[in-house]
Amino acid sequence: MIYPQKNKLINWFFHGYILRLVDKSFQQVKYNPLSVKSDKSVLLLANHFSWWDGFLMYYLNHNLFKKRFHVMVIEETVQKVSFFKYMGAFSVQKNSRDVVASLNYAAELLNDPQNLVLIFPQGKLFSNFTGEVVFEKGLVKIIQQAAGKFQTVLAATFIENLQYKKPTASVYLAAADISGSESIAELQQVYQQHYHNAQKQQTQIAV
Amino acid sequence: MIPARRVALFSNWFAIYMRYRMRKAFNRLEVMPFTPKEGHSVLLLCNHFSWWDGLWGNYLAYWHLNRKLYIMMQEDHLQKRMLLNLFGGFSINRSSREMIKSLQYAAGLLNDKENLVVVFPQGELISNHTTEIKVEKGIERLIKNIKGPCQIVYNCALIDYFESLKPSVYFHLFDCGIAGELSFEELTDKINTFHQQALKAQVNVAH
Repeated sequence: MIYPQKNKLINWFFHGYILRLVDKSFQQVKYNPLSVKSDKSVLLLANHFSWWDGFLMYYLNHNLFKKRFHVMVIEETVQKVSFFKYMGAFSVQKNSRDVVASLNYAAELLNDPQNLVLIFPQGKLFSNFTGEVVFEKGLVKIIQQAAGKFQTVLAATFIENLQYKKPTASVYLAAADISGSESIAELQQVYQQHYHNAQKQQTQIAV
Repeated sequence: MIPARRVALFSNWFAIYMRYRMRKAFNRLEVMPFTPKEGHSVLLLCNHFSWWDGLWGNYLAYWHLNRKLYIMMQEDHLQKRMLLNLFGGFSINRSSREMIKSLQYAAGLLNDKENLVVVFPQGELISNHTTEIKVEKGIERLIKNIKGPCQIVYNCALIDYFESLKPSVYFHLFDCGIAGELSFEELTDKINTFHQQALKAQVNVAH
């Protein structure tokens, strides 16, 4: 398993790089301002449909949540894109014994109220048009271990072009009440409901 | 109403240039296998959600459906980009009586089996995530005026990102039948069914 590493120079460089890339590539990043408690860490659950997801959430964290960013990423990706680990990425390898270590580490991070842990519970890329979001099981372990220490934020992102050449990203945020004793089906349902509402709002956009 | 002043040579250049631009801007341009009917002109009805739609119409007409492109544009939009007039753009003004003229003009173009006319039946920009395609009444009149054999094709373009920062666009093409052989209600129903099909197919698309 790969842990996040600290390097001020690399972090400084890619921090600017990510924020500039998002600013440059999108016409606008829309989100609803959601305030988070400062005495609890943030578990951010997001849909996964593109390479932008992580960058957009990083951008959002910088502008809105202002916590220490961490994200769970597939091991091969962390190996391939070497700067991810300096930006708070830690690895997970599905179907291996290492999974437990990754989940434990995520739960541990949530103990510190200054942290934000971003997880894509779908576990791989799906189309942005998918109607149903299917969660992988591991998430339950994290919330059980960190119960009471974190607040949950749900994010549903959709990208749309409309009249501009550059796309606009809409991130729909909502706080969720997760105690830690939920099953994966219940978690999925909570997210699904938010996702469905967000998608409905998105379809109503007309120019 | 501004009729098209299509110049074959310029249109060819434009198609080649735009293909280059699109290949640069997009990760993949995936057209689902589709062959238009021999000896028929094509009325290409497209979903309208982005800046690129008209250019995609050109791309499809030139590189995949092998027809000469004509495209219906809002009058004020065309006036701002009169160059497109040379590539097959003609105008429609929905708030004036000349609208009927435009529809008749489009129908006239479709009498020639070498032509293809792109029309956006929604008449305005609507989210790519929409599940319903509203078909404006004018389409009915347009189709009624076609005399030659003409195939009606619905093109559902959907944008997805997957493992890239650049978008990929997937064109789902569907045969809606021959003009004159189906009623307007049937056409609207068919388009909506096809749109649902495309949204479903998109979720399982290879990437």
